[in-house]
Amino acid sequence: MNDRFAAIAAGARERRDASRSSGRPRIALCLDTSSRARGGEATLAALREAVAARGLDVEIATTGSWGFCWLEPTVSVRSAAGSRTVLYHSLTPDRVEEFLRAVIVEAGEFPELALGVVEGPATDRIGLLRDHPFMRGQVRRLMANCGRIDPASIDDALANRAYEGFVTALDMEPAAIIELMLESGLGGRGGGGFPAGRKWDFLRNATADPRYLVCNADEGDPGAWVNRILMEGDPHLIVEGMLIAALATHAVEGYVYIRHEYPLAIERMNEAVRQARERGLLGEDILGSGKTFDLVVFTGAGSYVCGEETGLINSIDGYRGMPRIRPPFPAQAGLWNLPTNVNNVETYANAPLILREGAAWWSSVSDDDAKGTKMFTFSGAVNQSGCVEIPFGLSVRELLERYGGGVPGGVPLKGYQPGGPLSGILPAAEADLPLTLAPFRERGMFLGSGGIVFFDETASVVDLCTYFLGFAEDESCGRCTTCFQGTQRAVEILRRIASGGGRETDLDKLGDLIQTMIWSNCLHGQFAPTTVKLALREFRSEFETLIREKRDPTRSLPGMIAYEITNPTAPALAGAAAVCPTAAIVADGAGHAIVDELCIRCDACREVAPEAIAIRDRFA
Amino acid sequence: MAAEPTTRELRALVAGYEFDRGHLLPALIAIQERYGYVSRRAMEALARQLGTTPALVYGAVSFYADFRTEPPPRREIVWCSGPACRLRGGDRIREALQHTLGLPLDGQSADGACGFRLGQCNGTCSEAPQVWLDGEVVGGLTVAAAVALAREVMEDGAS
Repeated sequence: MNDRFAAIAAGARERRDASRSSGRPRIALCLDTSSRARGGEATLAALREAVAARGLDVEIATTGSWGFCWLEPTVSVRSAAGSRTVLYHSLTPDRVEEFLRAVIVEAGEFPELALGVVEGPATDRIGLLRDHPFMRGQVRRLMANCGRIDPASIDDALANRAYEGFVTALDMEPAAIIELMLESGLGGRGGGGFPAGRKWDFLRNATADPRYLVCNADEGDPGAWVNRILMEGDPHLIVEGMLIAALATHAVEGYVYIRHEYPLAIERMNEAVRQARERGLLGEDILGSGKTFDLVVFTGAGSYVCGEETGLINSIDGYRGMPRIRPPFPAQAGLWNLPTNVNNVETYANAPLILREGAAWWSSVSDDDAKGTKMFTFSGAVNQSGCVEIPFGLSVRELLERYGGGVPGGVPLKGYQPGGPLSGILPAAEADLPLTLAPFRERGMFLGSGGIVFFDETASVVDLCTYFLGFAEDESCGRCTTCFQGTQRAVEILRRIASGGGRETDLDKLGDLIQTMIWSNCLHGQFAPTTVKLALREFRSEFETLIREKRDPTRSLPGMIAYEITNPTAPALAGAAAVCPTAAIVADGAGHAIVDELCIRCDACREVAPEAIAIRDRFA
Repeated sequence: MAAEPTTRELRALVAGYEFDRGHLLPALIAIQERYGYVSRRAMEALARQLGTTPALVYGAVSFYADFRTEPPPRREIVWCSGPACRLRGGDRIREALQHTLGLPLDGQSADGACGFRLGQCNGTCSEAPQVWLDGEVVGGLTVAAAVALAREVMEDGAS
């Protein structure tokens, strides 16, 4: 063990133990982006104010996410004795007073909002957190520190084993590190699943210097926020992962490319890099080893194709973020045309665990072909929108039922999208597929980076296709005609179908486009039509009903419906007329009428007067 | 919003940036953070500093959705375009907001009072459908609530 590191880690543990044995209780509020969106900052302010007003002797800290995103703000309370910690949820400012009275003043607990006991024995009223239905079956390795540590404190990270894997790697030859990575079977977590060890080996064998590492934290897939959870919850894990990769590849500088939509992740990563530098874990002569490596946190500016590794490289280089034509591959000519390795956040984050615990331990978590654990977020038609870490192999349906809490309102599931706007959609009948790489690959799609979007029977598949193709059109870099014109043409056809103007030949036209777009340079154009391709296969009748019968079974497409007043004298219609953005509801004799030409089908009126307004088929 | 920065101010702000060091985006972000937008004059000053052409700088500015080329509005509604929002009526909310504000997506009123912008999912999907009003999440929206919000913003921005 490296002496300098031993001293640094011992210091951090001492400070942690001092806080623990101080006799002061500790309240730790999750304040990630999801918590902020749910009023976390107001809760923190209320906590601070109440603690000050009552003169309570309490340590107040903030943490990253436990994954209970739909129940934020979550708060853990450690007892004054330091031996018992309980996690609570949904702490709104109006509950802070009674909460503090229970957990601090009376040194008791608050079962009403309890999720579980993090540390210490269960009681009659509060079970162990690990037995909570949302936690059962999860294997928290990458997320081991998320929610538990203050992500702005390197001491907290060090006291929880940060950088131990890197210190292990310091005593190893680059080839041995890569051997270990290969042995673990770690595949790239950005969606491709390419063995990380092999990618590192390409860079190790590069012939030019200096060489670079890039961490792809662009996480542009709407509905995916696993990387955000890690960066906001345990940023040092990513710094450490990149340090290990640097040792294995002789890279001297790394870039963490984070999308600008993640300001808190940017702040956390910057803080982590600054602190790591301060402790001698980044920079020159790291821990006295003679090794040099430093990190730059680089902010994106709003471009989905910058998540494609060569687009990202162009973006850092200072050009439009257009994906390059390959070869050469980044390992030969990446940043500034020098050898570069690009991995996803979650890929780098696994390296410290492999180095610290060994490849056998790391890969033994399941017998699936894809090794290790994977983080998933889920949204859309779910009761619980959150983040989990599980071994590969759980079925999509189990993820939905066990962690997503099922579909709201008992509406049947219609389908799901496994991994981003390019990955395609599958019907509910395919929800028994295991969450791993092979079954999706076999279907011409991919599992993606971990964001699963569920949709129920009320959703129109044609609308989803229009949305995802429209997204791909917006984000096309403009290099390939097949992509920028292909997406545009597909959206035109889809819009036509969705508004009652579909033609018998349209489905064949879409088929032609899908074939043509395969010839695009990068994955963006190649996979942009996947949603349409699968929708035509799995949900073809929905297109046909729209084209042949001019009818939308979901009655959700604005071009296929009309609004009508069913009870012209209902008093609620005055409110409906007032809310209508286009003044389409007008006085008509003693009652009200809708001017169809003005109506934009936004549904605001029906929200206000559901008893007096109905939707009908426009072409009936 | 301050008057358009002078060339001298702009040159001072970008003085530390170099080409071929990955500085174009950081410099543009710094300019926008400081002045709220990247003016033509700023692009010229930056091009000179980096030893490149204004066309290359403009190429980047126009490529990335986050850069503005005119001063930002006083109030702004950013509409989340993500799938969770879409599945809960997000597109109807967009339609209603556009008509209430009288603005297309990524448009702003001529007097700079209010703007309407497309935003990308940041994974706060439990709040769907949502918008960000001046950076703050307004979640769990109904269409009617979105219309009320837009009217309030227009009144506020006008005064």
